[in-house]
Amino acid sequence: MKIVVCIKQVPGSNRVSFDPITHNLVREGMAGRMNPFDENAIEAAVRLREQVGGEVVLLSMGPDATKETLHDGMAMGADSAYLLSSRAFAGSDTLATGYILAQAIRKIGAIDLILFGRQAVDADTGQVGPIVATELDLPQATFAEKIQPLDAQHVVVNRDLGAVTQTVQLTLPAVITVRAEANQPRYESPVAIQQSLTKPLTTWTDQDLTLDASRIGQAGSPTIVRKVYAPEPTTRAAKPLPQDPKEAAKALLDILQAQGLL
Amino acid sequence: MITKDALWIVAEFEGTRIAPVTLQLLTKARAIANGRTVAAVLLETPAQTGEETLAQYGPDEIIVAQDEAFQNASDRTQAEQLTALIKANQPNTILFGATPEGRSLAPRVQDQLETGLTADCLDFYYEQDLLVAVKPSYGDNVMCEIVCPDRRPQMASVRPNTFAAKKATGAARIERVDATAAADSACVMQKTAVKIAATTSLSGARKIIALGRGANKDAVIEGVRKVADKLGASVGVSRPLTDRPDFTAEQQIGQSGVTVSPDLILNLGISGAVQYQVGMSSSKLVISVNRDSKAPIMVQSDYVWTGDAAALVAALQDLL
Repeated sequence: MKIVVCIKQVPGSNRVSFDPITHNLVREGMAGRMNPFDENAIEAAVRLREQVGGEVVLLSMGPDATKETLHDGMAMGADSAYLLSSRAFAGSDTLATGYILAQAIRKIGAIDLILFGRQAVDADTGQVGPIVATELDLPQATFAEKIQPLDAQHVVVNRDLGAVTQTVQLTLPAVITVRAEANQPRYESPVAIQQSLTKPLTTWTDQDLTLDASRIGQAGSPTIVRKVYAPEPTTRAAKPLPQDPKEAAKALLDILQAQGLL
Repeated sequence: MITKDALWIVAEFEGTRIAPVTLQLLTKARAIANGRTVAAVLLETPAQTGEETLAQYGPDEIIVAQDEAFQNASDRTQAEQLTALIKANQPNTILFGATPEGRSLAPRVQDQLETGLTADCLDFYYEQDLLVAVKPSYGDNVMCEIVCPDRRPQMASVRPNTFAAKKATGAARIERVDATAAADSACVMQKTAVKIAATTSLSGARKIIALGRGANKDAVIEGVRKVADKLGASVGVSRPLTDRPDFTAEQQIGQSGVTVSPDLILNLGISGAVQYQVGMSSSKLVISVNRDSKAPIMVQSDYVWTGDAAALVAALQDLL
């Protein structure tokens, strides 16, 4: 089974603040890390390969520094990696990103399964997986908590959709996005990290892919982030209850009584 | 005839009933419509009658496609049907609930229409014809305003329980349309089950007692469960307590958990990180207990008590 896992490098921390003078976003810990849900996707792919054989190929789009994250993924057991990196890709929103990834997957070729983490923890959209599936006209199973290989053409996926669970049989090739509940990603052993440095990592630019220029970068991105700001906390009265716990409890219940909440 | 340039809400079933977020979106859409037609679009089987519920929440139109193909339909089948309806009727705006289902369908529709989609919004409004979608990023630590200036329709998914649903009078025109999508042989449903999950009871709860790091003791939690029983409240937690075996992410309020808007939330030992506040800020009555009178949660609260949550829980148990 040839599996592509699409991964994203995200900021090392979500603790962002604003420069009081420029109002620009300041990211603490600028170093990137792998999106945590993508670790679950890689783990799921590696387990499938261990069960039925095949290969696990990583794919990411981003600046050169993304290579570190791709090496991390190869240390988790992936066999090879592709980085899509070009100034022409800058400013891509989910639609442009999904299109570019889909074109790269076409070029890699002969793919049975494409895995994603359920969403990235920076922008939290979860849109790129379904966009890639649609670009390639493939079936999808999002929010997967279990993936079982059935035969060479099929996998069975348990989806957890919050209010309902579903068990679906997908005909390959297919796209699956993976929940954290699916597995516990393995630790990178020193040997695996050493080995990852000798695994092939290929960089493709816009010149290496067949791309419609109107569908990539800013031109291919219908959405514009026009403002970024810190959420305004809505303050309330913060009336203190009596300091004695018994009196405080009594006062609390009186408030509930008065508001019809008892 | 279906109105062009309208605001469409894609209706969703949750088990056998219409999902609460669909009704919440109808109420909010009516409030900002400013003369625009508000339409609910519904895919259902011939045995289903979701339009009856939708009509009670005041849409101008309900567009119903009924077909056996929508029994256990794949994401691809549903997205293709929605795309066909959108192409034929050219709505201006399309809103989905940011539920797992909505977030699975919306990007498939987006890609077929090659337009913009903003995920998981907490607010949205119009500036003339432009939909301004307000969404959190970086674990709800940052808010972004996102617009789609040049392409239509403009699309967004909206986080459940961000708005209250209110019934409304007025007769909805029901437009029945032919279903065109085919069943998807590459994605076959083998089994589906409605979860009786904590997440459902928490997101719909009218009263919640929420526990944080400052209430992370077995005895306190046991006491809270008893108090919650007496008050008819559900128990939720902030992120640190999801590490305990007796709580899961489904009981977590805030980022990557559940957004709640109960009549009452009693926060015990929760400091109130931004992502938690965003998850409960539309609660009607907020009462918070914390040892630190300067904890961020305190100014988010109608009433506060500075002290150990264990002492207050014990006192409440005595009184109830």
